[in-house]
Amino acid sequence: MNIKKTAIAGTLESSDIQIMLSENGGKGIDIILESSVKKQFGDQIEKVIGNVLDKFGITDARVNAVDKGALDCVIKARTITAVQRALEIVDKPNWEVL
Amino acid sequence: MLICILAILFVFVWRWDRLYIKIRKLLLDGKTNDFDVWGSFLTQQGIFDISEMNTLTYCIGIFSNDELIATGALATNVLKYIVIDPQFRCEGKTFNRILSDLINKAATMNIFHLLVSTKLIYQKSFEYVGFKKIVSTNQGLLLEKGPQTIDDFISHIKKVENQTLKKVAAIVMNANPFTKGHRYLVEKAAMKNDLVYVFIVNQNVSLFTTAERIKMAQNGLSDLTNVIVVNGGDYIISYATFPAYFIQQDELKVTYQSSIDALIFKKYFAHKLNICNRYVGSEPYSTTTNSYNQVLKAELPPEVRVTEILRISTNAGKIITATDVRKAISENKLYDIYQLVPEATFEFIKSNFKILQKRLKGMKINEY
Repeated sequence: MNIKKTAIAGTLESSDIQIMLSENGGKGIDIILESSVKKQFGDQIEKVIGNVLDKFGITDARVNAVDKGALDCVIKARTITAVQRALEIVDKPNWEVL
Repeated sequence: MLICILAILFVFVWRWDRLYIKIRKLLLDGKTNDFDVWGSFLTQQGIFDISEMNTLTYCIGIFSNDELIATGALATNVLKYIVIDPQFRCEGKTFNRILSDLINKAATMNIFHLLVSTKLIYQKSFEYVGFKKIVSTNQGLLLEKGPQTIDDFISHIKKVENQTLKKVAAIVMNANPFTKGHRYLVEKAAMKNDLVYVFIVNQNVSLFTTAERIKMAQNGLSDLTNVIVVNGGDYIISYATFPAYFIQQDELKVTYQSSIDALIFKKYFAHKLNICNRYVGSEPYSTTTNSYNQVLKAELPPEVRVTEILRISTNAGKIITATDVRKAISENKLYDIYQLVPEATFEFIKSNFKILQKRLKGMKINEY
């Protein structure tokens, strides 16, 4: 699946994560993460985001993520929303991923 | 039971101000009293310059018990007037809330690339929410956030083979409209260099739109094979875009804005595109442009040389300026324009004369 437009989901408030998704010009998946707990949980956060992209079959995307201590379920939810917006499928969600 | 109710009541009263925090859009058009409240809050917090107000496209306020405690605004893609009462900063909570709201609002308008110009002490706060520094001076710094960075922008600019071995020059212009004066400046540079980049200022506050100005420059330079016309994007002539209201002294403001612009040019454009010479027209009329040229001369060397070219005059001995062209349009003297601009520009003005005159109404000629 290709990204149709840049999209954003989430906030910068405590326990949340802000995910911005855009095209990457054919360079694959790049995740740029800003988090105060990057050292401890950076890999895990990137893994959760990567898994969601995988399930949607997205192979080319730049992800700018700003984490404010989000739990995995939140990261997953915000990423799904960003993907749906970026693919313009908000009104027809992919239930298999959810 | 009673204790329970009392406890709930206690918590309710104790955290009353927290519960009563409201966030809403501020209407600064003067129809409500939002403007007065906003203005006096900024004054209280030490911001006296609200001249940027008419550039704002969206402004929010956070209220505690109906009292404004924080604000933030968007001017299209530039964040401005992010001010929070120190008592309510709550370790960045309020800041993050404002930023979330502004970023999400911008996203609904399809704007994802945001810029902010601020004091050095706030660098970290913006970095924590995903902003990256572009350049800084002693007075302040410029940061950006978004899917594309300045490096991506520059990597998309057209290049030639073996550019690192070539003599490359650059000129920045508004070309509002493109005149024989601009043409002369580019010709001079094109004669002495292998490649010349002509950066057109990307702002739709001029009489001619960015697309029109780029088209005019391209048409007026199409015979020069070593010239590339480029849209300057968000990064060229930032001093018009980036606010300096947080700097107290007026004379420092222009220097700050010009320095930021010069540093972006040097650190990114000149460095990545191998530009070693920047051409500017001499500036006999505008003091702002003149002081901008002075800042360029102070900041760009030794990596980039600044070459000042004397402006050309008409047969009558008058220096050609784009201001005179705009004046002639407003005074309905189409044929006065003929000797000031290249063929392509003249054709464009001629066929759009009525539309341009209509646009000019309500604009100040000197500014636009």
